[in-house]
Formats: sequence, structure tokens, C-alpha cells
Amino acid sequence: MVTSLPSRLLDALGPDIVHTSPEDLTVYAFDGYSEGRLPSAAVIPRDAREAALAVRIAFECGEPVVPRGAGSGLCGGAIPAQGGVVVSMVRMNRILELDVRNRRARVQPGLINLDLSRAAAPHGIFYAPDPSSQKVSTIGGNVGTNAGGPHCLSYGTTTNHVLGLEYVDGTGVIHRTSIDDPGYDVTGLLVGSEGTLGLVTAVDVRLMALPEAVRVFVAAFPDVESASEVVSAIIAAGIIPTALELMDKMITASIESHFHVGFPLTAGAVLLVEIAGPADDMAAGEEAIAKIARSHGALSWRAAADAAEREALWASRKGAGGAIGKITPNFYIQDACVPRSKLPQVTHEIERIAHDYDVKVGNLYHAGDGNLHPLLCFDRRDPRSVRAIVEAGTEILATCIAMGGTISGEHGVGHEKRDSLSLVFDSADLAAMGRVRDVFDPRKLFNPDKIFPTGAVCGEVRAVPAVA
Amino acid sequence: MNTTVAPRVVAPESAADAAALLAACSREGAAVVAVGGSTLQSIGNAPRRCDVALHTGGLTGIRDYLPADMTAGLEAGTTLAEVARTLGEHGQWIPFDAPAAVLATVGGTLAAGWAGPRRAVYGRPRDLVIGSTVALTDGTLAHAGGMVVKNVAGYDMSKLYVGSLGTLGLIVRANFKALPRPPARRVAIAPVAEDVRDRTLAALGELALEPSAALVLDGFPGVARSGDAPVRLVLSFEGSEAVVERATHDLRSALGKAGIPETLLLDAAGAEGALAAVIDAYIAVPGPAVLTYRSAGLPSTAWSRTRNAGAIAQQHELGAESIADVRTGDAILRFSAPTVAAFAGVLPAFDAELRRAFERTTVLAGTQELRASIDAWGPEPSNIATMRAIKAHFDPTGILAPGRYVGAI
Repeated sequence: MVTSLPSRLLDALGPDIVHTSPEDLTVYAFDGYSEGRLPSAAVIPRDAREAALAVRIAFECGEPVVPRGAGSGLCGGAIPAQGGVVVSMVRMNRILELDVRNRRARVQPGLINLDLSRAAAPHGIFYAPDPSSQKVSTIGGNVGTNAGGPHCLSYGTTTNHVLGLEYVDGTGVIHRTSIDDPGYDVTGLLVGSEGTLGLVTAVDVRLMALPEAVRVFVAAFPDVESASEVVSAIIAAGIIPTALELMDKMITASIESHFHVGFPLTAGAVLLVEIAGPADDMAAGEEAIAKIARSHGALSWRAAADAAEREALWASRKGAGGAIGKITPNFYIQDACVPRSKLPQVTHEIERIAHDYDVKVGNLYHAGDGNLHPLLCFDRRDPRSVRAIVEAGTEILATCIAMGGTISGEHGVGHEKRDSLSLVFDSADLAAMGRVRDVFDPRKLFNPDKIFPTGAVCGEVRAVPAVA
Repeated sequence: MNTTVAPRVVAPESAADAAALLAACSREGAAVVAVGGSTLQSIGNAPRRCDVALHTGGLTGIRDYLPADMTAGLEAGTTLAEVARTLGEHGQWIPFDAPAAVLATVGGTLAAGWAGPRRAVYGRPRDLVIGSTVALTDGTLAHAGGMVVKNVAGYDMSKLYVGSLGTLGLIVRANFKALPRPPARRVAIAPVAEDVRDRTLAALGELALEPSAALVLDGFPGVARSGDAPVRLVLSFEGSEAVVERATHDLRSALGKAGIPETLLLDAAGAEGALAAVIDAYIAVPGPAVLTYRSAGLPSTAWSRTRNAGAIAQQHELGAESIADVRTGDAILRFSAPTVAAFAGVLPAFDAELRRAFERTTVLAGTQELRASIDAWGPEPSNIATMRAIKAHFDPTGILAPGRYVGAI
């Protein structure tokens, strides 16, 4: 039966939609994190009907379906762990409807995140979730991981901006959901389910009015701890900026060498702060935050002069991942979250762990949310270096959990962290999630080997990240 | 509740006791209906059976509230007023916007899927939940999420329980992200004459500083009064003093140009009370024969839906009042007749016509006899089979509020 899957797909959808040669399939074995198995076929549908047909044929053959957006995920969410069919959404990349009056849009899942805000901007509205990958990542992929981004601090994550979905169930039937529909909130369940409950073929999103005024500030601090104390103090004062990002010296140095946006190179850490809203609030907002920064020993405080400088600063922050390539052969980006008052403490612990394992660690935080991205540098040709970052990464996660945090703030569980899920949830918690899985996908063919723990200890080969 | 024997009333003192109780009821086949403040029990169909009324009054308290983290764990039976008081002491709040905050509980508000008029700005309660603990019929306590504000570890199970009306389990605790409480607020009330409706809506659309709630009331005497005007605009503004000052100044001038000469402004407690009174009115049953629906839809059609509903009511000789929420798209439609018999006579035809006219129209409140004679939910969603399967997996013996939910779940 397995061998007939590619030919059945080809018969049904044709060679333009279905790719089956090994050289065409290689790319679909990877995502931004690591490598999975070669799929039997890659399907690149043009519409929901073709996507649904692919699901039906694959499931009839007992083969998995792995949804794929840009493949930029960082936890193995899009890799075909058991082979099967990868359904790539790149052709379904259109805005189907832009309803300016009601501030909503219906889009196809392959639409690139930034393209939505670009299309909406002339109308004075925007799509708020802005993962750093937004120039490449897709709305469908964002829905799968419930993606965040710097501006989620005040606007909320993807799930807060999804009003409804169209999805293909395990029998190939297409359904539409809305958060206003009577009945269980299937929309809310599907967002963040990493493609394990169905294949999303359209997304209704909420758009927001662009703020009247925006200010971006750069504050420098002697070290990461003092900067993280400022973050905790800002939140404790009841101030929620639109974004509050922390970068340590290693990150700012590599960003600066690429983007030349004027980050102070002598500082141990830099905060990138954005406030937005009515123009009347800008002066008081800046004053309140600057006062907290100064009282915690800020070395400098600078306001971006204009929109161009603000955009340059954000582009540099979101490009940090690429810039890091200059200083390390490989790096592994961890994603964890802690209560916001714990930032200084967790920062201290990460430093200790880096020292203990002799790993160079860069710190890049969506600090206002308590969302940490320690970047662990390594050289994949050196097995000792690989082992060190895996162990250090594991200890960082354990530390975050011990502080009341969790194993992923925005990247997802995917393949990488599925065995870590049992560090935060007990068997009853996981059983409840398992029931949902059983309802939507009793044969576990939608993106298998993701999210749910295997029960077995992960082998180090699988845990080796391939991010570069 | 259609039961001839009065239900046994229980109030477990702990989450573990609640889970054990559900397991025992599941074994015995005893139907359980969860009860909080009983403010939203009129949502959904009356359960077919109720052997046990499970009160959440023993599950109260605000746990792990760390103002510096702006997060709080709220036990199910905690009232919204208590939450507002405690968080308010630290300049924070959770904008539930639910009726009767003194009685309404956190668990009930979530289970009912309540979402009020300021959700366009602050989000729905579901959007502020960061974690939950739910007692299930197998006697386990299932946790989801946590105490951090950003969390994608595992399925977002809290979304499933919110709005499930106690048909899958009992929410025993929910963790929330709190928000900074805006220091200043105003409520503006203005009469809207028939001939300036469209200009008024256009003027609202042009405001640079948008209201957090924008409602058009028609009827509902006694709340948000503006002289004797039947139709009036109720707007809420929150923010810094400077912002609400400018917002209300801009509003007065915009409404003046649209032909509305006077706008009443309430601040501080007056504003708070006025909006709360409007929200209370959503579920009020002021006469002998009243039925209130909520029609969800696009903001741009909210006002026209209320007018169309009024026309349908007139054909059936029913009184009609409405609240058009022009920010969220909700239309609250309240119908009345002099007697239950008079209403009941036209109800089947009227209900069918209303449901044909508007999608997503559900019963919110009303006289019990009237509610009992129609389905609260309207047409079944296309994925009803999935919803039935969810129910069967979480409540295999069907003891949780049987018949209350969509598709007689």
C-alpha cells in the first residue's frame, strides 16, 4: 500500500502539484531546526479542495500528513518524523478578503506574515503578531505554533488574533469555524496544535488600528542582570510597553556589525523599548520608563528620531538570528518562558550554566513577556561541543520550570521538546490533551511524533540541532 | 431544569473533592450541573436532568497573585467583584465585562464563554486566560497552560473548557494575565434621532481616539438614560486623564457636527456604574414574557440587524428593544409580550424567522417557559460530529449538564 501513495496522489492531482523524486523531496525533510525522514511525496496544493484530496488519499493509505508553511520553525514541527506526505502551503498565499471597515481579513495559510501587514497598512490597520521570522514565515505556520513576537507583549499572541479557521479533517472534509459560532472553541484548540489536529486551509484574522504615535528607545546597561531588573521593575510598575526586548553584548555586537543601527558596543546589555498609543501619552510613557532605567544604572537612553530609525532598529532585532552566524559556526536557540519577576534570577542562572558547561551563550529576550531565547553557540563538527549545548540547554529548561516557567513561549514543542512536555504536565494533563488528539485524529496521522512525549529518553542524535 | 425531584446540592471544598465527586457521579450516572453565581444559567438549553447541583462556593480565593508579574490564579467560585477589588488595590484589573459582578463567578463567566463590549480593546476573558485546572469525570484534575504570559507547551486546552457550559468538566481554577487599570474613564451618553443615525456612525468611525465600547441602545429604559430619547449612544473611554479628556472633547465636537447637540459625560464611579448597568441589562428579564437573543456578526451590520429584528418582532406583534454593539458586532435583541401565552403562541414562527435572518443567534436570557420551548443554539455547526466526539471522550457517561449544549450535547 505504501508504495502506491505517490502514484495515487499523482493520478489525482498531477505532477505540477505532486512531487515524488528524491531530489525534489530532500528539502521537505528539514525545517529550521533539524532533519526528519524523506517524505514519500510533497503536495503543493492550489486550493483547499486539492489539500483535502491529498489528506484523504494519504489517510486511506495509512500514511501521515505533515503540514508545512515556510519551514522556518525552530523545533522540528514541520519535519516528516515518520515520512508520509508533506503538504506545503506555499501556493496558497493569497489574501482572500480584506475587510477594512470590520478590521478583519480572510487569508490563505501560505501567506507570508509581513505581506498581510503590508497590504493592510495603507488602510491604517495592521496584523499584530510579528514573529522575528515574519519576512518568511506564514500565517498558517504561525497558527500552528501560536507564534508570538516582540509586539505580543501588549497585543497578545496569534491565538488572540485568529477569529476563525477553515480546516480539513481526517476524512478529507472541509470545515469552517468561528470563535463566534455556538459550540466548542475548535478555533482556539487548533491554534497552537502544530498541525496535529487537522490541516488549516484558511484563516480569519483580526486586524488592529495602527497606533496614533509610536516611540522606540534604546537603553544601555552595564550587564544583563541590571537590564533584566529594569524589565521586571517596569512590569511591576504596571507599565506594559508595546515591546520590551533585551539583548546582551554578544547579540548587540553581532547585530551592530551587520546593521549599524548604533547599539552601544561597550554596554553589557541593551533594552529596546517601544511604546505606542495616543500621542498625549508618549511623553509621560517615556518619562516613566526612562526614570526606572536610570534608577537601575542605565548607561545611556536614546530615542529613535523617526519612523525610519524605528524600522531600522526593529529590522536589526528581528535579523539577530542571521547576524549571529558571523560569530559562531552553529548555534542552538532555546525558547523558554518564566514569570517576569524572575528575569534577574534566571539571567544569573543562565550565566552559571554557561560557565559550568563552558558554552558561549548569547541572550535575546522578549523580556516583557518573560520569554527567553538563550543562543547556545557550538560547532557541530565537535561532538563534545554538541553534547555541551544539549546538556546546557536541558539545564536551562529545567531551571526555568523550577522558577514556575515553561518549556516554550512561542516556538512550539514540535519534535525537539516533546519529551520535555512531561516536565511541565503530569499524566492526567497529558491524557486530557490526548483525548483531543483522539477525537480529531485517532490514527495519529496528522503530523505524528510531535508535541506528545514518546515516553522513551531521546537519543542524542535526534537532539542534535541543525540550526546554523 | 426539567427535574421533578429537587437536585442534591453539594459544594466541594477542594479541587480534589470536586474531581472525586464528578467521578462518583459518573459511576452512578447522576447528572451534574455546575452552579456559580447563577447569573448566566439561562444560556443554553435547560439540562434534561439534574441530580446534583455542584456549587463552586467552596472553591474561592485568589491564589498566587503576584502584582509584579501581573498574573493571578482565580478559583472558580471567586466573584468578579472580589477579583476587581483585590487587583484594583494594585492598579490592575481583568476586564470581564460580565453582568452582576457581585454575584458572577470566574468559573461561571468562563464556562458561559462570556465576552463583553470592551473586548475589541482588551480581549475576551478567553484571551486573558493563561492556564487552567479542570476536574474531569474520571476523577482527575487536568492542568493546562501555567502562570507565564506566553506559553505554547501543549494544546491550549483552556480554550476548550471556556464556553463549554460545564459539559466537559468543572473549571476549578483559571490563571489570568492582569492588565494595568486605566487611571481615568468616561462614559458618554447621547440621544440619537432617527435622521442622524448614519452621520453618527460615520462620525464615530472618524474618531482618532476610539472608544473601548460603542453601543446603541434602543429601549432598555432605566439604563444610560438621556432624557426620554429611546435611542441613545453609550460610549466608554479609558486611558490617561489627558487621553480621555481629548477623546471626549473630540467626541462632543464630532457628534455636534453630526447633529447631536448634547452629550452627557460621566466620569469615575458614574462611568463605571453606567456601563455596568448596561451590561446587567443584557440578561435582565423585566416583564412577564421576555426573551433575549444575542446575534453575533460583523460590527458594520450590528445596527441594521437590530432594526431588522425590530421589524420581524413587529410582524409577530412582539415588543422589541436592542443594543447594537458597533465595535464587536454583537446585537442584543430583547423581545416581549404582555403574557407568556401571547408570546408562546407566536414563538415558533418568530424564532424560525429570526434564525433565518441572522446567523449565530443564540438565546441569552428570558422567561423560563419561553426558553424551554425553543432550542437555544440554532442550526448545528458542520463539525458537530467532532463536538459530539469531544463530549464522549470527556464525559463518556453523559452526566455533565446533559442536553444543555449545541446539538443536544
